[in-house]
Amino acid sequence: MVQQIKYFLKETVFNLWQFRGRNIFSVTIICLSFFILGIFLSLANNLRYTAQQITQNRHAVFFLKTNISPEEKRAIEGKLSNSEIIATFNYVSPDEAAQKFKEKFPQLSRIVDSLGFNPFPPSIEVTFNQKSLSSQVQLLLKEIKEASGVEEIQYNLKWVERVNALGRLLTAIGLFLGGILILASFFIISNVIKLNVLSRKDEIDILRLVGASNFFIRVPFVLEGMTLGLIGGLISLALLFLTIQIIPLYLGSSLGALTELIQFRYLSFSQSIFLVFSGMVIGLLGSMSSVSKFLKEE
Amino acid sequence: MIELYRIWKQYRQPHWALSDVTFTAEKGDFWFVTGPSGSGKTTLLKIIYREIRPTSGQIIINGRNILRIPDHKIYNLRRKMGIVFQDFKLLFHKRVFDNVAVVLQVLGRPKKEIRRQVFQALRMVNLHHKMWDFPSQLSYGEQQRVAIARAVVNQPQIILADEPTGNLDPELAFEIMSLFKEINSQGATVIICTHDRELIRHFGEKILFLYQGKILRKETL
Repeated sequence: MVQQIKYFLKETVFNLWQFRGRNIFSVTIICLSFFILGIFLSLANNLRYTAQQITQNRHAVFFLKTNISPEEKRAIEGKLSNSEIIATFNYVSPDEAAQKFKEKFPQLSRIVDSLGFNPFPPSIEVTFNQKSLSSQVQLLLKEIKEASGVEEIQYNLKWVERVNALGRLLTAIGLFLGGILILASFFIISNVIKLNVLSRKDEIDILRLVGASNFFIRVPFVLEGMTLGLIGGLISLALLFLTIQIIPLYLGSSLGALTELIQFRYLSFSQSIFLVFSGMVIGLLGSMSSVSKFLKEE
Repeated sequence: MIELYRIWKQYRQPHWALSDVTFTAEKGDFWFVTGPSGSGKTTLLKIIYREIRPTSGQIIINGRNILRIPDHKIYNLRRKMGIVFQDFKLLFHKRVFDNVAVVLQVLGRPKKEIRRQVFQALRMVNLHHKMWDFPSQLSYGEQQRVAIARAVVNQPQIILADEPTGNLDPELAFEIMSLFKEINSQGATVIICTHDRELIRHFGEKILFLYQGKILRKETL
């Protein structure tokens, strides 16, 4: 057994080197397929990140009555702290609100001072959890609106709904295009591996006729296919990394506000593993199925 | 023992490559199969090592009907045979040594034993000094001798050779034939397809004459 394992490994290394021209071609195709897929995944990552940023900033402001009693305020705060969909909430007193207004619009601060009274009501600023559903938010808003001491609620439901719908649409388009791209990559790579095996049909025939078992014939081819897939996957990751590092240097300043939207984010660890692992699996399946074709006896 | 019963083989209609061939080679027999081109010699050998199946008929080798062996186990039959192919079937990207060694590697033999046996086989065909060459660096006749060394390296029970001396000069052809005779004297059954009447006259014991796929006659000298 040890003897055979040694033989298989030696054969794999030997053949990878012996047919290096053909193998470099295969690795290049695998690498390009995965590179294109990687660029797409990277863009999809960016899209998801942007969508998260938008939904993360979902917040509402509850304007309270100026004469709200401490009990009513405590009751509202109690409801908010018990709610699972609230990430943070912050009470803003009329004085703090006036101060904020003055800081934000310094040229209008004199008008506020000239009024002789503070026109800003007390309020509570609420930020919702990223995972909170619109229906949950609506339910909470309704509950708070009915609570005594609440004057008005500021929350642009329609806008948030639209952003969410856009996010869902982009995700669906991404999944569709990604699916097609993944299938195309799998098809191209498995065919490249098949062509590689096809060119060595004679070798398979000879091994068959000198008494090699199917297992004995198959293993080196499968190991070669897997190695080509692995090398292709790893090189594509390295290329992707370089591309992602270089692109902002060329595009960064010229894009202005769009920089954040179209910047490339490197693949996550699981995506990188997926890419390399897929390469190996395609190499394995491609070589297995092609060798099997030639192992059939008349 | 190799027994062929009423073998018929048709590649395409209406011609029969083999017609009703019945033939028995006992253990230790030395057979020549001869006949003009297209008489079915190669087809007969291919059927024996089961590269192809007959259209009808049965083949029993060492008491086992080889047509009933499942495809994935046919390698066990071929491991008992040494085959010299008409087109040699050498691995051109491997050295002479590796071409011969592959038969023993398939069997999982230890490295040391492989080295010893391959060297012996190559010395028998007088090619041991070229064992690190590639087949493309050898002449046609030398390539043929590599194919012969590969067929005999495992000291198989059955040797099938399709025109094994076709490209060799008469002197070397006689040497190779003597080699087959020596292996035969150790108990192996040998079946050789050839056109070479001189060889048949010199080494022939049992001769099968084929013509247009039919047995014309069998002779025992």
